[in-house]
Amino acid sequence: MEKVKLKLLYSDLRPELEMIEKELEVAVGSNSLLLNEASLHLLQAGGKRIRPVFVLLAGKFGDYNVEVMKQVAVPLELIHMASLVHDDVIDDSEMRRGQATVKAQWNNSVAMYTGDFILARALEYITVIENPKIHNILSKTMIEVCRGEIIQIEDKFKLDQTVRDYLRRIKRKTALLISSSCELGATVSGTDDETAARLRRFGYFIGMSFQITDDILDFTSSDEELGKPAGSDFIQGNITLPVLFARKDPVIYSRLKDMVGKDMTDSERMEVVEMIRNSSALKEAKAVSDLYLDKALQELVHLPKGNANKTMRKIALFIGKRKF
Amino acid sequence: MNDLQIHSKITSMEIDVLQALHQRTLEKYTSGPSIDRARLFFLLLPFFDGKKWSDDVEDSAKTVAIVYAALHAHDQVEEDTPISKSQQLTVLAGDFYSGIYYQMLSNTNNVKLIQLLASGIIGVSEKKASLYEKTVMPISGVEAAAEVIETELLNIFYDYYGFTQYNSIAKPALEYVYFSNQLDAYRNGVETNILRKLNLALPLPLYSERWLLDKLDGLHSELTKALDGHSMDFNLKNFMLHQITPHQHLAEQLTREG
Repeated sequence: MEKVKLKLLYSDLRPELEMIEKELEVAVGSNSLLLNEASLHLLQAGGKRIRPVFVLLAGKFGDYNVEVMKQVAVPLELIHMASLVHDDVIDDSEMRRGQATVKAQWNNSVAMYTGDFILARALEYITVIENPKIHNILSKTMIEVCRGEIIQIEDKFKLDQTVRDYLRRIKRKTALLISSSCELGATVSGTDDETAARLRRFGYFIGMSFQITDDILDFTSSDEELGKPAGSDFIQGNITLPVLFARKDPVIYSRLKDMVGKDMTDSERMEVVEMIRNSSALKEAKAVSDLYLDKALQELVHLPKGNANKTMRKIALFIGKRKF
Repeated sequence: MNDLQIHSKITSMEIDVLQALHQRTLEKYTSGPSIDRARLFFLLLPFFDGKKWSDDVEDSAKTVAIVYAALHAHDQVEEDTPISKSQQLTVLAGDFYSGIYYQMLSNTNNVKLIQLLASGIIGVSEKKASLYEKTVMPISGVEAAAEVIETELLNIFYDYYGFTQYNSIAKPALEYVYFSNQLDAYRNGVETNILRKLNLALPLPLYSERWLLDKLDGLHSELTKALDGHSMDFNLKNFMLHQITPHQHLAEQLTREG
């Protein structure tokens, strides 16, 4: 339902997004039956396609040509897909978006090769564009995203990390790819440097807000809404902003310390979830998310008015209010 | 160029590649990047053979070694193991190394080579995945998979820089190293994907060892023949035959064992 609502916000882009969907289908076509099946399985699980949306919207601030824009929009979604299929191996996840993951349906190796194949397709696709700036931005982003994930694994179960550590981690893990989607869309459509920089910052602030909201929803949503147990982040050792705020209370801190890294029972998991829900942590985390959202909206104020600006604003506000 | 100089150049390149891929956490929890010295030798072969060689070509050669390291990292991901930092970071190591090769080539504006290598990786991934398909693969399929997995990216590098004359040497040599490793695995009771496919393709799994020995003989003859037709330095040929593909013919082995 939420996904449908989000898609309604960018219904202006429907023809372009349908074209991109078809391009994605062609792009994941492989000579290997197995890779073909696994990639299609991943593609058909759907997704918000938020990265292509930001590429296209950012492109509207410049000389918009959908044939050129798709050369960036398609690979960005492919890179995201490749990272998802590898993330499922990292987290040993059986389900994603309500269907079996590639690693669950086949095995870890097939998931690894599927991810490698999709990533290579993305690079094959984007290298049609020769502008070196595009490749400098994207390659740097790919490395930073990996660094973010490496740090996330390093920081797992570390209850004593700082809020700054958390923010730096989610910047790399989530915000950078959204930020780069905006910057690449702007660059490929030839906007001036200032517009490209504003769009990059817009993407960054939205990405930060989006991830913090995601981390809040992990505690506030039901298991059904999430499609996984509430509090999964904490169970997996990912210490998110609500936990970092909640630990200020010595009683909660002591209890969290007992639980972190432990093979928790369902009632212990719910105890942690309730503890966070009943603290002020979620409100505080929401305030940080809203701060980023405000900054994103501020960037839009300085950008040329028009449909793209309006849609970006609507998406930003939706992200701030989304329930799951 | 003598053996010491060859070894020294390979080591220098190995160090450069390791430095490019340095990442503290990955080094702590994974086995680190796999840099195969035989492959480095073949990436450097045009240089050893006195061909025109610039910093750009050498940087590109390093990126090819990095791509191999990235793909190799993902080969190390295990099945049915409990979540461990080592396994998780091995997944990320491959992705991180891919980012590094892309960035290195972006920095030198070598967009065409990024594209060619990406196409090569697609081919290699398809062949690696084909080893997991449930259908029985004919022997020719096993051989084709090994060829692509081992030589595709190197061939792309040779073709791009006009070093195609080395394709016919690198192909049998790298396949030799590959099947030689398979033979070691077989003898140590390790079942690799290729061995599994081979066992299924042959009338009896027991034939695998004999097939591998025959294959190694054939590849060594192919390499010797290719080298005979090449005008490169005697020391270089010797290095290849004795240090990269030290071979004992099947007949010799049987005589000794008998």
